[in-house]
Amino acid sequence: MTRPGLVLEVDERTPPLIVHQGEGFRLQRFPLGSRVIYPPDPLPGIRDVTEAIRDALLHPLGSEPLPELLRPGMRLTIAFDDISLPLPPMRAPDVRGRVIEQVLEMAARRGVDDVELVVANSLHRRMTPKEIEHAVGERVFRSFWPRALSNHDAEDPERLTHLGVTDQGEDVEINRRAAESDLLVYVNINLVAMDGGHKSVPVGLGSYRSLRHHHNVRTMLESRSYMDPHRSALHSSTTRMGRLLAEHLRTFTIETTLNGTSFPDAFGFLNKREWEWSLADQARFMAAKQANERAPARMRREVWQRVRAPYRVTGVTAGQTEAVHQVTLANVHRQQVTQIDGQADVMVIGLPYICPYNVNSIMNPILVQCLGLGYFFNMYLGKPVVRQGGAMILFHPVPWEFHQVHHPSYVDFFDEVLSETTDPGQIEAKFEQQYAQDEWYRHLYRTSYAYHGVHPFYMWYWGAHAMDWLGDVIVVGGDRGAVARLGFRSASSFADALEMAGETVGSSPRITYLHAPPLTLAEVR
Amino acid sequence: MAVIDDVRQVASGWRWTRRPLAPHSAEPDPAPYDEPEFNTDWARTPAARATREALLTAVFRPLVWNQTTVRVEGLDRLDEIAAPVVFVANHSSHVDTPILLCSLPKRWRERTAVGAAADYFFDIWWRAATTALAFNTFPIERTGGARATGTARRLLADGWNLVVFPEGTRSKDGWLGPWRHGVARLCCELNVPAVPVAIRGSFVAMPRGRSWPKPGRPPVSIRYGPPLRPGPGEDYHDFSVRVRSAVVRLADEDATTWYASLRREAAGETPSLHGPAAPTWRRVWEATRSPVRRGGSRVWRRRSRTGAPSKDR
Repeated sequence: MTRPGLVLEVDERTPPLIVHQGEGFRLQRFPLGSRVIYPPDPLPGIRDVTEAIRDALLHPLGSEPLPELLRPGMRLTIAFDDISLPLPPMRAPDVRGRVIEQVLEMAARRGVDDVELVVANSLHRRMTPKEIEHAVGERVFRSFWPRALSNHDAEDPERLTHLGVTDQGEDVEINRRAAESDLLVYVNINLVAMDGGHKSVPVGLGSYRSLRHHHNVRTMLESRSYMDPHRSALHSSTTRMGRLLAEHLRTFTIETTLNGTSFPDAFGFLNKREWEWSLADQARFMAAKQANERAPARMRREVWQRVRAPYRVTGVTAGQTEAVHQVTLANVHRQQVTQIDGQADVMVIGLPYICPYNVNSIMNPILVQCLGLGYFFNMYLGKPVVRQGGAMILFHPVPWEFHQVHHPSYVDFFDEVLSETTDPGQIEAKFEQQYAQDEWYRHLYRTSYAYHGVHPFYMWYWGAHAMDWLGDVIVVGGDRGAVARLGFRSASSFADALEMAGETVGSSPRITYLHAPPLTLAEVR
Repeated sequence: MAVIDDVRQVASGWRWTRRPLAPHSAEPDPAPYDEPEFNTDWARTPAARATREALLTAVFRPLVWNQTTVRVEGLDRLDEIAAPVVFVANHSSHVDTPILLCSLPKRWRERTAVGAAADYFFDIWWRAATTALAFNTFPIERTGGARATGTARRLLADGWNLVVFPEGTRSKDGWLGPWRHGVARLCCELNVPAVPVAIRGSFVAMPRGRSWPKPGRPPVSIRYGPPLRPGPGEDYHDFSVRVRSAVVRLADEDATTWYASLRREAAGETPSLHGPAAPTWRRVWEATRSPVRRGGSRVWRRRSRTGAPSKDR
């Protein structure tokens, strides 16, 4: 029996708690009475994943078994989640590859020749061949790359199809190959509740023309939160699009969920509650911390980016998209939801080294904002962990550093846009079109490994709800210049940050620390 | 941060020299015990045995016999049997184990291991190592399960005698606590005799919360009973009850006489060791009546009517 999540109340027995801080971590003492939200213990994995996948394909929800949907002469497209999932990347074999192999085995037996695989990378950077091989496995990669295995190109008019407009006037434009297939099989990894369902195809295989209907400030402000699909305007929009798509395209959705084992044994202490650390864990912590602090910056980043999580698969469900996603969401909640009573005045988060957009890359200041105010702030069901007008304290060094290949438009966004305003509404109105239609960014997105020109805007919108909600954002240990450019305040220590937050929330605030990763979704009552 | 600062922070945060404690709000939600069991095999090597024998005879015995007045009875019972056996005793003090081990003849002592609570004695490495060396302890899971008796089975199979306290913990009020049946099951399954042992006075001498015996050399008696063998097909619950009754009778024997205790047992009038059904303070009050001091020399010898000093009993 896996232990459920825990809300710890810090007392005199509580050891200092681990706090992620970019490419590093620290032990931090919290004031007595602070609350700490821990996720449930990692769920046991499925013992025979191969059999579970096979069972899901043969007994799907709301659909005929997959072999019955396959026939000779048909066009079959298999799309799958890109490099942004899971985090950290999964230790080989990646579950996407295991699922795709079984789908292809069934297709081969049914005599399907016209098969193509597409990375559903939306406006994200293209995946490198090596990254694709890790995701799909050597056998699939060698059979299809590069002829019939490619990244989705959201800027190639020849490879996009406009399928119509929803009743809310939203354009639905997706990858032409997928749209014109007799069957689209979508394989996902549902790391958080935001992923999957109708968000997979309309977003993953969509174009800017389509995405702009839900990736905007208004939608983000109306998504309370986007980790709660039933209360998310973002998901309402993608669901409308998905249902319109279903009128034109037969989709067979396969969703998988993973447990909470986010770190390998060498960093095993990061998966545990601190007071349960063994002597070996304590020794590993000290060794890892010292080695990390002493390593050159480049080596440190290399080591962190090489981390492969020993996730165990907790669920494989296949069939009709909405029916499948109900089961998937329940599995995600089983692993991540912790209930907590009441909101806090101050929410504390230690930001790790990785977010969906800097795998094998650099976490630049805009991504720090996105991870803190976008993702972690939104890790709630019901109402935010912190009250309206409360303060958020983030731990991260916020280096003024950008990956020149992956994030070219981010550099200009940071220099040009944020130096003028940090207001998401103004930014959207004044700058978005210019960046979205910039030919150079478009060229880099299509031919290099760059995120789309509009992507930093989306990252900024991702935090719009938090910016609107919070009274103060303080970053501990951050580069002062970079933090100021983001519109936040920086503090050199946690004590200073609490002192500064006192100006907003008073001198004896209720403090809640969201202890993640492993990821925790707070259900606030 | 320098290495030394990290070490200091971890040492204080995780209470290296003290018992690790979970935060109060996390106590009802303990981690599933998945740590490997502390290996105590090294404590039964010849070198460790020699060290232990020296510790017990040169340190513990003089110390305990000096701080308390120990009386040992019934060792002749051991002549009737051969190892391995399980010594089953009541438990109300940390002084019970050294008294029991030091009271045993050397040939028994050097082949005897003591079951100790894994979550108390084996929760921190230095405590686990020192108790294993000094008393030849091995961990027992108080939560039960297959691991609870795994090491005990192995030791019995290797010919080691065991000391087990079926109450699983020291008495809080000096009276006999709930009696667990695991040891009886072990005896039944491996057909090993149980030797009942009654210890009286140790609660008065050094109750919970004390780390040193009370001053005044309080009397403590330890009495060994006749070995009990599980009958053919005997249920381990029945055997467990039989062993507990033997311990209770031994306590009665210690308080009265052997024959009186037998008579009271036959009449079903053996006083219970569960104490009176009364508030805690009254139970403790009753339990802290010391056993009558027997033997021992008087400081001032009573003079006979003729004026010559009389002999002590």
